[in-house]
Order: sequence, then C-alpha cells, then structure tokens
Amino acid sequence: MPGSLGYAIWLLATLLEVAVVVCAIRRHCFGRYLCLNLYMVFSLLVSLARYEVLSHFGLRSSQYLYCYYYSDAVLTIFLYLTLITLYLHVFDEMKVEKYVRLAATILLAGTALFSYAVVQQSSQRMVTSFVYELSQNLYFVGLVLTYVLWGAILKLRETRAQLIQIVLSLGVYFSAFAAIFALGNMFPTLQSVTYITPLFGCLLPLAWAYAFWRLAPEARMAPAKLAVVPR
Amino acid sequence: MSRKLTSLLLAMLVLAGAMGLRTVVASHSDGAVMMANGGAPVPPPPMFNGGAPVPPPPMANGGAPVPPPPSAQ
Repeated sequence: MPGSLGYAIWLLATLLEVAVVVCAIRRHCFGRYLCLNLYMVFSLLVSLARYEVLSHFGLRSSQYLYCYYYSDAVLTIFLYLTLITLYLHVFDEMKVEKYVRLAATILLAGTALFSYAVVQQSSQRMVTSFVYELSQNLYFVGLVLTYVLWGAILKLRETRAQLIQIVLSLGVYFSAFAAIFALGNMFPTLQSVTYITPLFGCLLPLAWAYAFWRLAPEARMAPAKLAVVPR
Repeated sequence: MSRKLTSLLLAMLVLAGAMGLRTVVASHSDGAVMMANGGAPVPPPPMFNGGAPVPPPPMANGGAPVPPPPSAQ
C-alpha cells in the first residue's frame, strides 16, 4: 500500500483536477476546451474509482491492476483527443478541421493496429496486454504530436496566451515523464522515482488551472518585434 | 485528394516516429514505461505480475485447456 506521502500526492492531484474544471467554468472556458475539461472530469472519477479498488484489494491485487491499466488506457485516449482539439484550435483559421480529424483517426487506428500486432502472439492475457501496449504507444504518439504542435505554433506565430500555456504544459508533462523514465533506467534502485511519477501527474492539472485562472481567454502575447520600443 | 493523402502521410510519419522512439527506448530497458494519468500509485505492469490469476483468453470456445502457442514449441 502507498504511504501517507503517496496518498497526499494523490489527493493533491485530485484537488488540482477539480481546480481545473472550476477555473474553466468560472472563466467561461469549459465549452471552448470541452475535451480537456472532460478529460479532467473523467480523471477525477477514475481517481475515486481507483481509490475504492485500492482500499479494498491492495496495490498488488489483480483487481487494482486491471482497474488501473484499463482506466489508464481510456484516460490516455481522452488525452489524445484533447491534444487533437488543441490542433483544431491552432489550425482553426486554415479551415483544415476535416483533414486534422482524418489524420487523427488514422493515427489512432494505426497505433491500435501496431499495438495489436505486438501483443497478438505474446500471451493469453491478450486484451490486458493490448490495453497496456495501446496506452504506452499512445503516450509516445502524444509526445511526438505535442512537439509537432509546438513547432506549428512557432511557425504560425500563434499569440493566444492561454492556448500557448496549455500546449507548453503538455510538452513539459510529456518531457518530464521521459526524464523520469531515463532516470529510472540510469538508477534502477532509485526509490524516490516511486513518488516522482505521481508528483509529475500533478503538473498538468496545476499548469492548466493556472492557465484558466490567470489568463483571459482572448489574451494575446505581444510579439517581441512589437513589444520593443525604439528609443 | 492531395490534402487527404498529405493527412495520411503525416499520420504515418508521426506513427513511425513515435513507434521508432518507443522501440529505441524500450530496447534499453525492461519495456515498462513510466507514465501516469493522475496521482494514483502505479501497480506493476501486467506482464510482470507473475502472481496474478490469468483470466481466460477472450476467444476461448469451450473449457478445454489452452495449449502453448505454436511459436513456443
């Protein structure tokens, strides 16, 4: 079972997820970033369900294992859809929504096919392995997609501060997990990684809550060339 | 038509890049990638949980014991 620090981090992450939704509603951004907010709401419900299963069956029980990885796959798909809606926000003036949706569908189907190809001959627990594999592969797809989106933001000179903050925090979130993974490989006996992983799970809702609370929906970042005042 | 093909090409490029990255990363480790949605404690990955009861295969017809896959022989 996790210690009191583990429970405290988990509670913090859950409270931050609530904060994201509350801030979005207060700032009238819930509909604008609907998929993102639904991801937070679903993540909150999943946290409650996981706590219920964990407290009844324990960390190493098969019930918690199934509950965790199946819900994690659904959450990762939600996160993927959130990322795609951010693409739609960035490219909304180019009228390419249809093509973004087509590419997103192909990418999701391709990832599912790849995951199926990997697990199809591996074990009897094919569905569980497939769910786990799909979740992991979607994580890497999300990582690549976030950097591509950041490149597009730079190229298109996007200035909406809230949108930039949301995309940047996603980039930091994915990069942080990549860094933890590298640390875990370099120092396999490092115990603090156990707490760092869920701690980084708090980063995303914290950054999103900040984006909704502090930045107005239509706030723009002044480009550097315009901000410089000639003397 | 060309825009649809471009969408397809970009999707395939991202997929190839992501899976290539995954393969490179997994080749230097035990294949378990740490990630978390939310702050819940992470259980051991499914394939490393030796003690968990194995659920029946999804496509099982009848109750006969399942033989090992042909590749294992």
